Amino acid sequence: MQGTAIVRHVVTFGRVLREVGIEVGPGRAANAVRGLGAVDLTRQDDVYFTLRQTLVSRHDELELFDRAFVAWFLRGPVTPLVRQTLEPPFPERVAADTLRSGLDQGAGDTGRPQELGASAYELLREKDFAEMTSDEFERVRRLMAAIARTRPRRTSRRRSPDPRGDRLDLRRLLRKSLRTGGEPIEQPWKARKAVPRKLVVLCDVSGSMDAYARALLFYLHAIVGSGPGVEAFAFGTRLTRLTHDLATRDPEAALARANAIAVDWGSGTRIGASLREFNAIYGRRALSRGAVVVVVSDGWERDDPDLVAREMAKLARAAYAVVWVNPLKGNPEYQPLAGGMRAALPFVDRFLPGHNLRSLEELGAVLAGIERRHAA
Amino acid sequence: MVDRVDYAAGVSFRTIDELDTALREADYLPDRGLATALFLALALEKPVLLEGEAGVGKTEAAKALATALDARLIRLQCYEGLDVSHAVYEWNYPRQLLHIRAAQEGTVSEEELFGSEFLIRRPLLDAIDSDKPVVLLIDEIDRADEEFEAFLLEVLSDFQITIPELGTIRARRKPAVVLTSNRTRELHDALKRRTLFHWIGHPSIEREVEIVKLRVPEISERLAKEAAAFVRGLRALDLAKPPGVAETIDWAQALAALGREEIDAEVVEQTLGSVLKYREDIETVRDETLVGLVEEARASAR
Repeated sequence: MQGTAIVRHVVTFGRVLREVGIEVGPGRAANAVRGLGAVDLTRQDDVYFTLRQTLVSRHDELELFDRAFVAWFLRGPVTPLVRQTLEPPFPERVAADTLRSGLDQGAGDTGRPQELGASAYELLREKDFAEMTSDEFERVRRLMAAIARTRPRRTSRRRSPDPRGDRLDLRRLLRKSLRTGGEPIEQPWKARKAVPRKLVVLCDVSGSMDAYARALLFYLHAIVGSGPGVEAFAFGTRLTRLTHDLATRDPEAALARANAIAVDWGSGTRIGASLREFNAIYGRRALSRGAVVVVVSDGWERDDPDLVAREMAKLARAAYAVVWVNPLKGNPEYQPLAGGMRAALPFVDRFLPGHNLRSLEELGAVLAGIERRHAA
Repeated sequence: MVDRVDYAAGVSFRTIDELDTALREADYLPDRGLATALFLALALEKPVLLEGEAGVGKTEAAKALATALDARLIRLQCYEGLDVSHAVYEWNYPRQLLHIRAAQEGTVSEEELFGSEFLIRRPLLDAIDSDKPVVLLIDEIDRADEEFEAFLLEVLSDFQITIPELGTIRARRKPAVVLTSNRTRELHDALKRRTLFHWIGHPSIEREVEIVKLRVPEISERLAKEAAAFVRGLRALDLAKPPGVAETIDWAQALAALGREEIDAEVVEQTLGSVLKYREDIETVRDETLVGLVEEARASAR
């Protein structure tokens, strides 16, 4: 029967899609089967669009879908599946370290300050991420979730009941007046409430940032988990969006993938080009408009510092505020002399270190209370 | 429960080709992918989410679908802060207060005060409660906040709306639903799971020429080709906002109105503002770049 053949095809193709990293739920598969029942199966483009429109729901999965479709239905040459080539095998060193630190600490240690002891906690707070052992790093990781809860806020356009509000709540006023014969004796008010402001983080994951990028990715992971409205990107020689990875997988895996996609080893960081890519693709879709944008980088630009300046200007125009986190600033003798850093600074609202836990706490505090400094 | 909700419209299409023809008759030239997406939305009775750059014709597609189906188009434009009182319904408070006052000594019952004559219908309620077939366009859903998205999800899965004072209103006919997004943010997975998804890219050059000729009937073949080729050249540049089909049409109209048969650097310079909307983009395209693009466009249209 044709019907059962379709079901078999869709189920198998669903498996192929899962292998390339596209999750296909039973509801989607059922839609695909119903859709194929409604179109002309002899037309390849109709079959292609029907499967694509029912099984894929994200623009960035289209390329993966195309590869899978070519390989499966057209029996084309099996192009290497993207996830396999981009994602290096799980780093064994990290796995081993994580296992070992688990053994050392035992189950009782939750990493909270009081259990570490005040002085040990202070030492840990001040220690440079680059100098941490994997044990210490594990402990710090758990402290990050608490810092990540502080988010910049803005006033919503939506109003909710508030006795100190600035607008009459007509709906409630009417209900109350009904009891008093149409006389509005009691006056309920409503006001705009504060909601989290959009937060966009662009994190440099090139070689020179290795130790810090890892710490900051754990921090990012915690922020993405703190609620909606957070977008994370990694860059090196290229830019890649990390939001989805950070929301669904663990930060080590997200970092490994970011490294594979965004960094060409030994070719330096292209901050300007990465910012341009961000502005062109995501800025245009207003992702940065009204957002607090945090750039995490040491400012070593391989190419043209002028490009960094131009793209930072665009970014600053769209954003509510721009924060630059540079781990090198943790060193008291640091001077922002690197070309890229110097070019970027005029467009930065707040310039912070980010080399240890204490500086991340500072970042959290700054984000919570940030005000726009540059002119709109 | 038996699915007693009628099919969206009186008009129905058995094949993609039939729908394609009807859309063309409504002055819209869909590519095969879009025609398939709209066809599946009708056949599977599912909302379809259209994503793509600004100006590729997402909103126009919904309008054309309404014409093709001989249905009412009801549009809900989303924005930040959009809430139930602007999207679904609101009570007409001034009239209600007047009504209480007018009753003077006589008492006014709650049922009386919250009757449907005091109800202001907003797009979603209008679409659910319509006697006629409806195409519901939820435009730029990515601009609404996530609370509203969650509410919308409920409406789109049950096609019913509950008003505490009046009870539940169920759709007599399921409206055909088109959502559009410019991807300023990623939509919630739950919403995406309930919708078909189609990404609209920029059209091929042949199709864009066809669209221009359809929308600007007075234009010459040659001018249509040159305009489409020039805009295609612009899209390859590094611009803040590359022009969409809508801009190509605007520009072609301007050129035709000026009585041009072909383009040259001078007229392009004068009319560039209808293609490019940012000052910095216009500056990028000035001078040699512009002359080069004009030459290429003229050569390719020959």
